[in-house]
Amino acid sequence: MEWYWALATLIGMVVFLMAMGVPVAFTFIITNIIGVVIFIGTMAGWTQIADNSTQLITRFTLGPVPIFIMMGSLFFHTGLAIRVFDGLDVLFGKLPGRLCFLTVAGGSVFSTLTGSSMANTAMLGSLMVPEMQKRGYNWRMSMGPILGTGGLAMIIPPSALGVLLASVANIDVGRLLVAGFLPGFVLAGLYAVMIFIQLKLSPESAPAYEVEMPSIPERIRLVCVNILPMGLVVFMVVGFIILGWATPTEAAASGALGVVILAALFRCLTFKAMVTAIEATVKVGAMVFFIIMSSTVFSQLLAYSGASAGLLEWAASFELSKYAILGMMFVILIALGMFMDATSMMLITVPIFFPLAELLGFDLIWFGLFVLMTFEMAGTTPPFGLLLYVMLGVAPKGTTLYQVAAAAFPFLVCDAVLILMMIKWPNLALWLPSLM
Amino acid sequence: MSGLVKLYNYVLFGMAYCSGVTIFMAVCLIVMDVGMRITGLDPFVFVLTTVEYILLYFTMLAAPWLLRIKGHVFIDAVTQFMPPTVKKVIAKLVYSACIIACSIYCWQLIILLVEAIQSGELDMRSYEIPIWILFVPMPLCFFMCIIEFFRYLIGIDDMYSTAVEERESV
Repeated sequence: MEWYWALATLIGMVVFLMAMGVPVAFTFIITNIIGVVIFIGTMAGWTQIADNSTQLITRFTLGPVPIFIMMGSLFFHTGLAIRVFDGLDVLFGKLPGRLCFLTVAGGSVFSTLTGSSMANTAMLGSLMVPEMQKRGYNWRMSMGPILGTGGLAMIIPPSALGVLLASVANIDVGRLLVAGFLPGFVLAGLYAVMIFIQLKLSPESAPAYEVEMPSIPERIRLVCVNILPMGLVVFMVVGFIILGWATPTEAAASGALGVVILAALFRCLTFKAMVTAIEATVKVGAMVFFIIMSSTVFSQLLAYSGASAGLLEWAASFELSKYAILGMMFVILIALGMFMDATSMMLITVPIFFPLAELLGFDLIWFGLFVLMTFEMAGTTPPFGLLLYVMLGVAPKGTTLYQVAAAAFPFLVCDAVLILMMIKWPNLALWLPSLM
Repeated sequence: MSGLVKLYNYVLFGMAYCSGVTIFMAVCLIVMDVGMRITGLDPFVFVLTTVEYILLYFTMLAAPWLLRIKGHVFIDAVTQFMPPTVKKVIAKLVYSACIIACSIYCWQLIILLVEAIQSGELDMRSYEIPIWILFVPMPLCFFMCIIEFFRYLIGIDDMYSTAVEERESV
């Protein structure tokens, strides 16, 4: 079979089954079973696919995924997240749009302590939207910054999706995680600039209000007690990886221990919080791992059928610049993201896009971060962007999906600007990993 | 019959609890390993392989329970626009296709498990471990997935009744 028919058959089957509502993990299982019969021509291959399915999920490098989920969940359920907000709250006086800036600052700190953008968005939304409504913020200003900042958890380490991407694409997990650190904070800065511009254009959208500010010594105390200790956890994850003291899996476990120690010190570590965190880990971690397990053979089938090699040869035959092909990959990812979650998109595109990026001469760590940025954008594109629905779940009654998507749009522009900055200055992403 | 259903539910939820316990154990093992290394003690060699196996058990033990609580991610961007009758028919076809697929996996995994037990083959990692241990939870997982999809097929529950905002992912 020609490579393009093989590619169309495999990708077409996955997309069709997903569109029919087959759970993503089972979509890959069904595709594997049919694909083996088509391309190997014998049912004997079924034993092989069952055997191969354990290959990826029994890798130590995937360990950080459930641990980052547990760490983030502990951070939220023990009440440490609220303490961070209390600490940050005293830093912003009565400036207009203070709650928007507080969202960006708080969300960025949260992103350094949790690996899930959905948990981050849900937490920020449930904390900030009611307060913003009470203070007369309009829907655009109350939801946009949350959607933008919520997605930061995908790129700022610890990022569970980053670990998955690195494992599936077979690149260095630690280097990809660390690569997201600087661009993540630059993006947070871009969000703050965007809020400033929005406020200049429409000051009434986020009115200033009187705030009772504590004395300066009290403010310093609140910051020292509520925010600075979190730096210890960030160091235990990012610092340990950069310094080479621990592998990403070990750094993740150390970070989780750090959160437990802090929660115990603040006397907010409860049995209930522990159980809730473990339950969240099982729900999200096992679901994602089951998809990874079932998709392992899919990428092998793409290679075996000749689809991957044929596509690469075909793409290389064009006299297009590598940035034009990068642009095409960006458009495909955004288009897929309108209907799929990030994990599904990743498993369909990684076996094709990463070899292509390597062929075009892109640094794979840089490209991994580019893909994560695109996933972040895709998470806030209608009609299926999952973060839009998380926001809708915590938004006031009567909020429409259109309003949520419109509020997110300016922050998507910031994401696009960061991608352009990464293209212009690749070291923005590659400098920190180069220290490792 | 109700006793059998009760027993099955105990197994289903018991496996999910075990999944939580195993992943918590994995975190503890890794923390202990890092701690020993930082304090200059010789870390245990079994940690790496044990954690790798735990990742598999953690996934397999929870997968049927995730089906029960509608925790497996799916896409309804297309089907949500279909008339209810068509939607219902497609749902039944989906459940049937999943039952067939899980049956094939379950059957193949039983073959692999039996072969692994008979051959006595070892998995060479940081320590040697009989390879059949790798396959033990897998046929069980897929067998229970068949039962869960069958529950949906005969109309005991509807897998698609979860609101989008209640779904979880990374």
